[in-house]
Amino acid sequence: METKQYSVKVFEVTITNEEEFIIFFDKNYVFFQHHLICVNGEVNGNIESYLNNKGLKYITNVELPKGRKSSETTFETIPEEKKEIEPQAQKVIEKERNPLRVIDTLVRSGQELKIDGDLLLLNRINSGGSVNVNGNLIITQIVEGDVRCYGNFMMLKASPKANIVFHDVEVDNEYLKERLNRVELIDNEIKITPVLKETSWA
Amino acid sequence: MGIIIAVISGKGGVGKTTTTANIGLGIALNDKKCVVVDFDIGQRNLDMILGLENRVVYDMVQVMDGEVTIKQALIKSKMSPNLHFLAASQTKDKSVLESGKILKLVTDLSLDYDYVILDAPAGIETGYEHTIEFADRAIVVVNPEVSSIRDADRAIGILDSKSQKVKDGGEVLKYLIINRINPKMVQSGEMLSSEDILDILSIPLIGKIPEDKGIIDASNQGKPIILDHNSDAGRAYARIAARLCGQEVPFENVEMPENGFMKKIKEMFQ
Repeated sequence: METKQYSVKVFEVTITNEEEFIIFFDKNYVFFQHHLICVNGEVNGNIESYLNNKGLKYITNVELPKGRKSSETTFETIPEEKKEIEPQAQKVIEKERNPLRVIDTLVRSGQELKIDGDLLLLNRINSGGSVNVNGNLIITQIVEGDVRCYGNFMMLKASPKANIVFHDVEVDNEYLKERLNRVELIDNEIKITPVLKETSWA
Repeated sequence: MGIIIAVISGKGGVGKTTTTANIGLGIALNDKKCVVVDFDIGQRNLDMILGLENRVVYDMVQVMDGEVTIKQALIKSKMSPNLHFLAASQTKDKSVLESGKILKLVTDLSLDYDYVILDAPAGIETGYEHTIEFADRAIVVVNPEVSSIRDADRAIGILDSKSQKVKDGGEVLKYLIINRINPKMVQSGEMLSSEDILDILSIPLIGKIPEDKGIIDASNQGKPIILDHNSDAGRAYARIAARLCGQEVPFENVEMPENGFMKKIKEMFQ
């Protein structure tokens, strides 16, 4: 079986063996869901109904205009072993990335929350409470205590009584006016943008 | 087994002891057996507010040390046969408290009484931690001002981490009493509103008590204000005591009391 990525959205395949074709598409049809498949060779009813079944778009035995042979990539059927490794690899990536913690209890006075990673806090921080986050931070309720954030961004409600420090720089409460404000670190500069759109957290 | 309730506040002077005395008497007047214990060792006051200062012979430290029996140390109130009082030691300090002895004391008391009310000392030191250690429930007393609320918040945080019930995987039920509400100041917006306080502390409200000059006089005379049916504060305490006894009592708006004229019209239609 010959296969060729004709263009970004068109995939060419020449059938020599029906069984081989079906095995290949069984494994890889997900990749072609948004492609046009150009099937060459002997296309029988069996193959047509199989392609229809999978919801793939195809044309048969069309001579595509010949372009430059720039990138002739041959798709190979993915070996079974490789597939098994994939979810494990994904887990490792997720571990490396900051895991998100979601906390919905309120941070009372004298309580200290130290989070290694991202935090979504669905409750308030009372006066005297403190939250220290390595990653990104979103707090949906009012803050009256201390916030230390070292992530790429944080989102806060207007909190006139809060003590907010973003990357060791104190953020003036007056800049946080709207119901939700985004504080970002862009090119070593702290940028505060109000989020004016209505956000529903439910 | 009776219920052990700790009355806490964090900050001093918000009315813990007054609240303990009134609620204790209120529960006793609801025909429940109740004992109030002063845990403020070294600074006992509850005996005076209950009008029992001249009857204290033995104190709880002597009971815990095994010098006297509980029966010898318990003082029966003149105001209700259901109310008993266990005094704190005035000569010792808070360092005499030990977890094992406290557990024995409160367990023994809860066998004989429906309600065991512990008056916690101010602050969050060992005396406070020992008071809440074996409590089933807590009544948090605050005044509508920021320092009282922050201290109460801290006290609740400690309660939620250090009490035995929480360590065993349970939860200590907490109720909020907002004390010394000045209706005029609330109406003019100078005082924190109850909604704000409930937002901050997020524990259920069990009652609001308006400021009442009669409380000082009542304390000086050793007659809890709950006995005065003409006092707004006294009636508020009575409602709280009834709620603690499991009765459904509607909340009254103490911040905006109806004036006499409206009240009369309302009464005519009832």
